[in-house]
Amino acid sequence: MPGPLRAQSLARLHRVPGAPVHLSPPTEIGMEAKYQERLSSIERIQEGFAELNYICSRPIATAIYVSCHLGKPLLVEGPAGVGKTELANATSEYLGVPMIRMQCYEGLDESKALYEWKYAKQLLYTQILKDKIGDVLSDAHGLAESMEQLHRFSDIFFSEQFLEPRPLLKALTAEEGAVLLIDEIDKSDHEFEAFLLEILSEFQISIPEIGTVKAKKRPFVFLTSNNTREMSDALKRRCLHLFVPFPDAKLEQRIIKARVPAIPDSLKVQLVDFVQQVREMDLKKQPSVSETIDWARVLLLLHATSLDADVVRETLNVFLKFEEDIHAVDQQLYEFTRHAQKADARVA
Amino acid sequence: MERTFTNFLQALRGAEVRVSVAETLDAMETAELMGWGDREALKYALSLALAKTPDEKEIFDATFDQFFRFDSFRGRDGETPEANSGEELEGKAGDLLDMVQRRDETALALAMQQAAREVNVENIRFFTQRGLFTQRILGAMGIEAIDAAISAAVRSGEGGAGQAGQLREARSYLFEQVRDFVEQQLSLQGAGASAELREDRLRRSRLGNLDRRDQEQMKVIVEKIARRLVALHSRRKKLRNRGVIDIRKTMRRNYGSGGILFDLEWKQRKIDKPRVMAICDVSGSVAAVARFLLQFLYELHELLHDIRSFAFSGKLIETSSFFKDKQADDAVAAIMDRVGFMPTDYGESLSNFREKFLNDVDKKTAVIILGDGRSNFTDPRTDILKEIHDRSKRVIWLNPEPPPLWGTGDSEMRRYAPYCDLVRECNTLNHLERVVGDLLQVAQKAA
Repeated sequence: MPGPLRAQSLARLHRVPGAPVHLSPPTEIGMEAKYQERLSSIERIQEGFAELNYICSRPIATAIYVSCHLGKPLLVEGPAGVGKTELANATSEYLGVPMIRMQCYEGLDESKALYEWKYAKQLLYTQILKDKIGDVLSDAHGLAESMEQLHRFSDIFFSEQFLEPRPLLKALTAEEGAVLLIDEIDKSDHEFEAFLLEILSEFQISIPEIGTVKAKKRPFVFLTSNNTREMSDALKRRCLHLFVPFPDAKLEQRIIKARVPAIPDSLKVQLVDFVQQVREMDLKKQPSVSETIDWARVLLLLHATSLDADVVRETLNVFLKFEEDIHAVDQQLYEFTRHAQKADARVA
Repeated sequence: MERTFTNFLQALRGAEVRVSVAETLDAMETAELMGWGDREALKYALSLALAKTPDEKEIFDATFDQFFRFDSFRGRDGETPEANSGEELEGKAGDLLDMVQRRDETALALAMQQAAREVNVENIRFFTQRGLFTQRILGAMGIEAIDAAISAAVRSGEGGAGQAGQLREARSYLFEQVRDFVEQQLSLQGAGASAELREDRLRRSRLGNLDRRDQEQMKVIVEKIARRLVALHSRRKKLRNRGVIDIRKTMRRNYGSGGILFDLEWKQRKIDKPRVMAICDVSGSVAAVARFLLQFLYELHELLHDIRSFAFSGKLIETSSFFKDKQADDAVAAIMDRVGFMPTDYGESLSNFREKFLNDVDKKTAVIILGDGRSNFTDPRTDILKEIHDRSKRVIWLNPEPPPLWGTGDSEMRRYAPYCDLVRECNTLNHLERVVGDLLQVAQKAA
């Protein structure tokens, strides 16, 4: 049994010189009518996202607006858990196009991100067609002529039927357009980042055996990064850059209201105030918005109507994930709870 | 509008936000999309295209607010000026007097902007140019008309005195406004230029005679250079699937397929990170340079396999641990406590090194020695340096003294030099950058 075939090595052995084949007709760039209305203004986007329970601030809505209109990828940076990935999800839902997600990790390479050959299928077909090859070559005289004959057919094994599309190729070939989310790009290697450049600026990729694939419809591209490493200038230059900070108290209250609609108002105010105070502290990991939502759900489950020190102490581990952090907050528990209750009283 | 935009970008660059040409084009498209009507929306949108780190966002916000600030000629009593039709703004000199007397703030602000454009105020770079530009703008606005009116009023005698006083007051009001405007332009456009000038001077000045107040700035510059070197050299560490086929490995790998070469194996090159041992003289003037060299090396820890540092004057100690858990300042102070202020003895220090650490020197190690080679006429022990040279990959000697002084008096530099792969004069940041860059480059080539 032969070892795994590698596309590249096969390609070099069987490479047929000739003009590159184009997989798809030339790109049409331009927004469809159905998006046009939804992207007509920043306010419209804000409202539309709110209907999907994604509360976005004005800068975020502006970013979506500009990025969709200019057809530029949007690089979203910010601390973990502020809803970067969710933003792409909401956009895909809002525009009614499929979402294609690619999670980055160290060692991610082209064959996992772009395409791979279906080696097994290639081999199987070769085996099945073995006899046919005899027929094809039967009327050939001599080695040179047989080779000539073979050359005419070798391309069939490197055609679209044998191509396994991975997220990037899928996004480019999607008929209806797509939202492409390249998640946690900072986890990938430098090489991969460089490889992305062609896609981000030209919306096309080259497959050596087949040719250049151009996007049928330009996908909306989101890249997210947690800033574990600085992205290269070349990448940044090709993207619009949005920094999503932790939300302020007002916005966070709206987010909680949208995500956990059953929560009583006073509890919501107290909870948000408490979390905002915790974020002021010097912690190993600050509680994120998603953790605030989790906490709200937990408190709702426990039938709490307002915060008190005991309830908080029991549920601290919902939004604090380090022993040291829990300990640090525990020491200021009473103070924070009192502050939160006062904040509620002010609102009432 | 385009010119305003270009000026804004220039101001951004001055504030150390890096804006490339591609980004400029993006920003223009963005501005076109958003229109100039909604100031906040425009600000968010432009920050998407122009500022690409949290720090840059902050700078961008500040610069945007300052640049697009139109609060000149806000009435001192806060009253809103009457609206003015465009035609009135066309003629200026004659009307200036009129505008000033009517306190027509909008018209004045517009006239000032126009005058500023005429005299190219965006070219202002240094604070010494303030007076010049203020006068030019006032001139372009037609200040002579007011001056003439004042002298006419004075000459007209009794009745004119009050009017002259009023006019004088109006004139000084106008002057103040223009001066503030120029000041604002200077802080926008000039900040970058003077910072550059200062940085350039610092990079070229001798590390030994730096002012205390420059130290902070120096730290920032060292960090900046280090970041650049990291970016420059942190390329792929392995070259895969390129170049030459490794026949042996390919054959072995394809035994499974009956010797048919399905799977190719390529010759691989691995790029090593250099291992660095820095031996620093901490006596007198050399200490200042040593400090920055060490700071440099530790900033670059990402690129270097392993850094060990040693300090000596009369004897030698290892100082790696000092830098690992302390700030550079504290570390240097602690080191000076231990070995500083002793008469320098290179021979003794080198033999200390041989006893304890020579075994750790291997073919991958680059040994950097920083010192003036002035050994108070003791035995220089060049034999030890030869031994280090034989065991290590490279020996680099950095000397803060300029070459003509090498070998004069008690300097043993000329005797050490034959056992070094590289001897360089090194007493400014620029020198240091070159040496460290060289260190990294050789490591990559040699692999």
